[in-house]
Amino acid sequence: MEYYGLDLHCQALLDEYRQSLPVFKHLQQVAMDKLTTMLRNNGIVVNSMESRIKAEESLAGKLHRKGAKYASIRDITDIFGGRIITYYNEDVDRIASLVESSFDIDWKNSVDKRKMHEFDSFGYNSLHYICRLPKEACDELGAPELHELRFELQMRTALQHVWSDIQHDIGYKSEIETPMEYHRSLSRLAGLLELADNEFSRIRASINAYRRRTKALLATGQLDQIQLDGDTFRWYLDREPFDNLNKRIASVNQAELQEVPIQNYLPVMKELGMATLADVEKMKNDNEEDAYQLAIAQLGNTDLDILASTIGLQNLCMVQILKTGGGCPGLQRMLDTVNGKQEYNELIAQSIYSQAARLSFMTTKA
Amino acid sequence: MNIEIKEVNGVTTAIMEGRLDTPAAIKAGQQMQPLFEVADKEIVIDCTQLEYISSSGLRLFLALRKETSTKGGKVIIEHINDEIKKVFMMTGFFNLFVIRN
Repeated sequence: MEYYGLDLHCQALLDEYRQSLPVFKHLQQVAMDKLTTMLRNNGIVVNSMESRIKAEESLAGKLHRKGAKYASIRDITDIFGGRIITYYNEDVDRIASLVESSFDIDWKNSVDKRKMHEFDSFGYNSLHYICRLPKEACDELGAPELHELRFELQMRTALQHVWSDIQHDIGYKSEIETPMEYHRSLSRLAGLLELADNEFSRIRASINAYRRRTKALLATGQLDQIQLDGDTFRWYLDREPFDNLNKRIASVNQAELQEVPIQNYLPVMKELGMATLADVEKMKNDNEEDAYQLAIAQLGNTDLDILASTIGLQNLCMVQILKTGGGCPGLQRMLDTVNGKQEYNELIAQSIYSQAARLSFMTTKA
Repeated sequence: MNIEIKEVNGVTTAIMEGRLDTPAAIKAGQQMQPLFEVADKEIVIDCTQLEYISSSGLRLFLALRKETSTKGGKVIIEHINDEIKKVFMMTGFFNLFVIRN
């Protein structure tokens, strides 16, 4: 049995550690499962979660340095340690609040390193909680001994984590005390990353505010105030604006409608000069009947009874192109956008054009 | 209707021949079954000798596409004639596949 040159007291602590390992591993599994469930139930997406049981060599080093102050291995609060790395500053606080309600916190030994800096200094930022599993939860598991063990949970942002890891790495690799200029450089970087963290949070808050504002405009029908983009088009689609036309076209051959991605048509509508959702709505209202007629011209003499859910919008865009004088080249540009540039797009465009040429919106548009 | 499946330069290729209409679709579905086993890879459907496709044939292509998109593969349709291209376009399914000459 290896004792790393420890005194008798520390050897006893090391033995206690070895005997307690299965319990710590059980604690690790239960605590990490609980944290994972907690984050999932609250819709918090994190960069990563990690955990470890302190390695024997690492513990021996700690006992060498300050073993005398521990009466039992249970006095060492980081034998099992977990870490949650978030994307945003405010998620650290959200998670901390959830941890407070899910675990028993040893406040005396917990520390918020983010609040330990002077106003003019920058450095390690992380929230460290010393936790226990609640007694009732351990009793329910039939493992009351788990409640006796404390563990450390660190919570910080990804940028804080990177800074901490690199600082740790540099500190460990240097054999002599690191010169002051390196400390200054690291502090400067900590300040920069704090600024970056705040900026990421500000950007997220700003995007969320824009989305809330846009959804409110959509709910009140102020489509002319809503720029056409990927998000707004998706929300617009939630209102199933092309559903009626799709069903009309499907009824021609009693066809089944198959759901397919519709986002390919967003660049088509942009190319057609649509800037707001009101422009899309106007195209739909102006062209719905003609789009239906075009679909009949294409499908009426076939027995095709399966159609993509883009069929309505596809025909609306074609009619819009033809009504605005885009002709065959316009149809081909649309096909290039939707299908990718292919030589046969020209042939298909010609075919669509000749089918449309007989329809009333083409013969009366001049 | 006949479907021959073989490896061409390490890629599973289905060579279609004849008319993929409703009566032929059941047998074609059985013949295409091995393609579903390799849906995690690129699958080429050579339609040089495919004369016609009905809705039932389209459904087979769509089922294979669904399987490949779930498993990380891809369906490439080669050398379809102009009439079949129009069928893909009229039904709105054109851009779901990689179609090349």
